[in-house]
Amino acid sequence: MRPLDVMWVGIGGGFGSLLRWWIGRVVGERYHGSFPLATFLINISGAFVIGYLSVLFSVDWRDRFGSVLNAGVLTGILGGYTTFSSMQLDAAKLAGSGRGQLALGYMLLSVAVGLIAAALGAALARLQG
Amino acid sequence: MINLVILVFVGGALGAMAREFLMLGVPDLSDGFPMAILVANVVAAFLLAVVTGLHKRRAVSDDVNTLVGTGIMGGLSTFSSFVYGAVVLMTASASGAAVAILYVLVSLVLGYGAVLLGLKLGERGTPEQR
Repeated sequence: MRPLDVMWVGIGGGFGSLLRWWIGRVVGERYHGSFPLATFLINISGAFVIGYLSVLFSVDWRDRFGSVLNAGVLTGILGGYTTFSSMQLDAAKLAGSGRGQLALGYMLLSVAVGLIAAALGAALARLQG
Repeated sequence: MINLVILVFVGGALGAMAREFLMLGVPDLSDGFPMAILVANVVAAFLLAVVTGLHKRRAVSDDVNTLVGTGIMGGLSTFSSFVYGAVVLMTASASGAAVAILYVLVSLVLGYGAVLLGLKLGERGTPEQR
């Protein structure tokens, strides 16, 4: 790891987080249901993109440093953009307000659709490959 | 508005760099179990819940909540690496698929428990603060 990689991760993480924050605001202005739609859309789209880019550029998923693509885009932007902690917090808030089934459904749906999205992204890159 | 942009950017950058250091410092288990991402996600879920609990009872400002909750914890935790890591494990081998399922379940259960604990701690004020 070089200091430059840390910088790329930081810059990517900053921009990814801003994108997440901005999408959260835009979706929040238009959608007022109790399903955490913004975080869901962010996580699913991020999962698709990481699968796609990892296969397209043949990045081993554990080898995440050493280039601008690995450090800046995969670890930085996509890591900052998607969030696991907000998903869990939203689910706990739903369960706390008596919507336990929706909370469980939200978590399971996020993971199931996220896995499919990552696999589809990888498959699309292989098709192009 | 520009203040919020700066808080989210700086927080997200710090969180992502902390996650990179975790990935460098925490080795995966011998069966490929992605321990670093699990640690990052569970720690971020816990601290996000603590800050949310503190913010709920106005023990921290809106700005601190945005910097730490939206920024740092959002940057530290990741969903993309979480699911993609599971997909890679699943497609590698039959034993890898078992590890992947275990990884997903352990992440969800520990993350959820961490959130409940964090909310409890954050919402509970000491008598002097009330």
